[in-house]
Amino acid sequence: MEKEQYKKLEQNVTPKPPYLKNVAKAFFVGGLICTIGQAVSLFYMIFFNFTEATAGNPTVATMVFFAMILTGFGLYKRIGQCAGAGSAVPVTGFGNAVISAAIEHRSEGLVLGVGGNLFKLAGSVVLFGVVSAFFVGLIKYILVTIGVVSW
Amino acid sequence: MRLLGIMLPLLVSVSLLSSCNEKEKFIVYGSPDNEKEVEAILKEHDFVDKTTVIQYDDSMLVAVQIKPWDKWKKAKLEKKLQKEFDEKYPNKDVLVSADFKIFYEANKIKKDKIEDNKLNDKIKELKELSKEES
Amino acid sequence: MVIVFQSKPSLLAGGVVAGPLEKRSIFSQYFDAIYDDERWEMKTNEQGHRKMVEEACEFAMKKAGVKNPDIDYFMGGDLVNQMTPTNFAARDLAIPFIGLFSACATSVSSVIVASLLTEVGAANFSLAGASSQHNAVERQFRYPVDYGSQKPQTAQWTVTAAGFALIGKHHEEYPSIEAATVGKSIDYGMDDPFHMGAAMAPAAFQTIQSHLEQRNQKIYNYDLILTGDLGQLGLKLLKGMLVESGVKNEELTLLRDAGAEFYGQDESFQSGASGAGCSAAIFFSYVIQQMRAGTYKRVLLVATGALLSPLSFQQGETIPCTAHAIEITMK
Repeated sequence: MEKEQYKKLEQNVTPKPPYLKNVAKAFFVGGLICTIGQAVSLFYMIFFNFTEATAGNPTVATMVFFAMILTGFGLYKRIGQCAGAGSAVPVTGFGNAVISAAIEHRSEGLVLGVGGNLFKLAGSVVLFGVVSAFFVGLIKYILVTIGVVSW
Repeated sequence: MRLLGIMLPLLVSVSLLSSCNEKEKFIVYGSPDNEKEVEAILKEHDFVDKTTVIQYDDSMLVAVQIKPWDKWKKAKLEKKLQKEFDEKYPNKDVLVSADFKIFYEANKIKKDKIEDNKLNDKIKELKELSKEES
Repeated sequence: MVIVFQSKPSLLAGGVVAGPLEKRSIFSQYFDAIYDDERWEMKTNEQGHRKMVEEACEFAMKKAGVKNPDIDYFMGGDLVNQMTPTNFAARDLAIPFIGLFSACATSVSSVIVASLLTEVGAANFSLAGASSQHNAVERQFRYPVDYGSQKPQTAQWTVTAAGFALIGKHHEEYPSIEAATVGKSIDYGMDDPFHMGAAMAPAAFQTIQSHLEQRNQKIYNYDLILTGDLGQLGLKLLKGMLVESGVKNEELTLLRDAGAEFYGQDESFQSGASGAGCSAAIFFSYVIQQMRAGTYKRVLLVATGALLSPLSFQQGETIPCTAHAIEITMK
């Protein structure tokens, strides 16, 4: 059988990913995570002296903490299998990427194992986040300077 | 199905939370007698959902909650209102804040019926809090 | 080229141990031991992996009533970097050792080498087999075990299992190895590491095809043709290729796949099981036991392996695959 012929057979046999179902699941699970995040943020505003502007940091820390617990108990990967981007895009997904790497590489020691591999998956998120923030800032600065928009 | 079981109570509780306080959308609390005037300024704007104004003597705290879709421009709308109030009351020390925390605390002041002598400190405290940055 | 063994070396015993998740396997009743701890009470996954290899070998030796000094050669492999679990197991077993890597096809390639050593008279007894440990292999090839990524329906689950067979001189009461085919490395341009079945099916097809041709046999001359870990989709593809080449539909029921059947119809394992331990565990427990019970008289075992590394697919290389076959008969 020729390669092209096999490719056709392969495409016939392989099931199409259920995009619509996946999108719906991602929407609901992602929305649920964000709702919990909003609740945590409200909690910090109501019971502590945090404003909307300052509640972000403790909220992120708490959500990452939740992700850590779930990852440690092996539950986050199940959520991830069901929700896909819904659980990967919120900050809990970032936490999961960091923590799963830490658990994985604990056996190689703290410095070379955990320390060296902590950002194995999340490193590119940090890098490209910083880089894109720089460029977005630069574009906005240029637009403001030539007077298209204001700050 | 399991997902629905989680989502339903959550949605219900969220909708319950938002539906209370419907009557008192514009609250002005404090000593000076200009309630109607302040309310009129705020009611002029469509983007204002709820407000609580706390005032004592020369200082004034305007806590605003902006309607959901207008929240994208929150900082700009806040600035706009600030400017308006500054023009209207040049002799007063006014602070407009769209922050939920400030709004929540302002409502608490109203609810607890804090006395005039403590009101000044409270307003000062909240004004400082709103200037805090992360 | 097909190798025909004149002396017909026999599979004297098989030792198979598996991890906790493999309790859900429909073959679990055939395994010698299933452990509740995937690390075998060791500190790391890799140490548990090593322990698993040792235990499987112990079981094989115990069944045949032989001890380590009686064994002349130990052949095996796994999927971890430089195959340290098997290498370290060889250290503890203290048997002359050749490490073999044909990815998931190691279960059969090791038997072929052991049979050749027996055929030329170099070995009275030798141990051959393969193993894989889910956690150790997943971190090697994909993401950390606890990372919440969504696996597509085409993905397969690496099993935690080790299967080793004791191979000795011909013995009538045991299944014997009549012939073997060493497969070529086949590349049909598949490059999705989450769709290994599609990459491996052409290799299995070619090996089966050339084995049948050179042995002058048809599929219906066998009681069973069992492939290693094509998964449900890979098996479908293999059947599709065979139909294309003129095989009749009714013959296809003789074709089964260990990976597709390993976890039954459980959808949480997507397309089925994979890993070097998958084929080894089924070949050296279920197949040997069924042959000794007389269910099958003539079986063709085809283990398939995807010869990729994380580096190779990140560099955009396609996945070459191989398949090795052994023909086992029982009088």
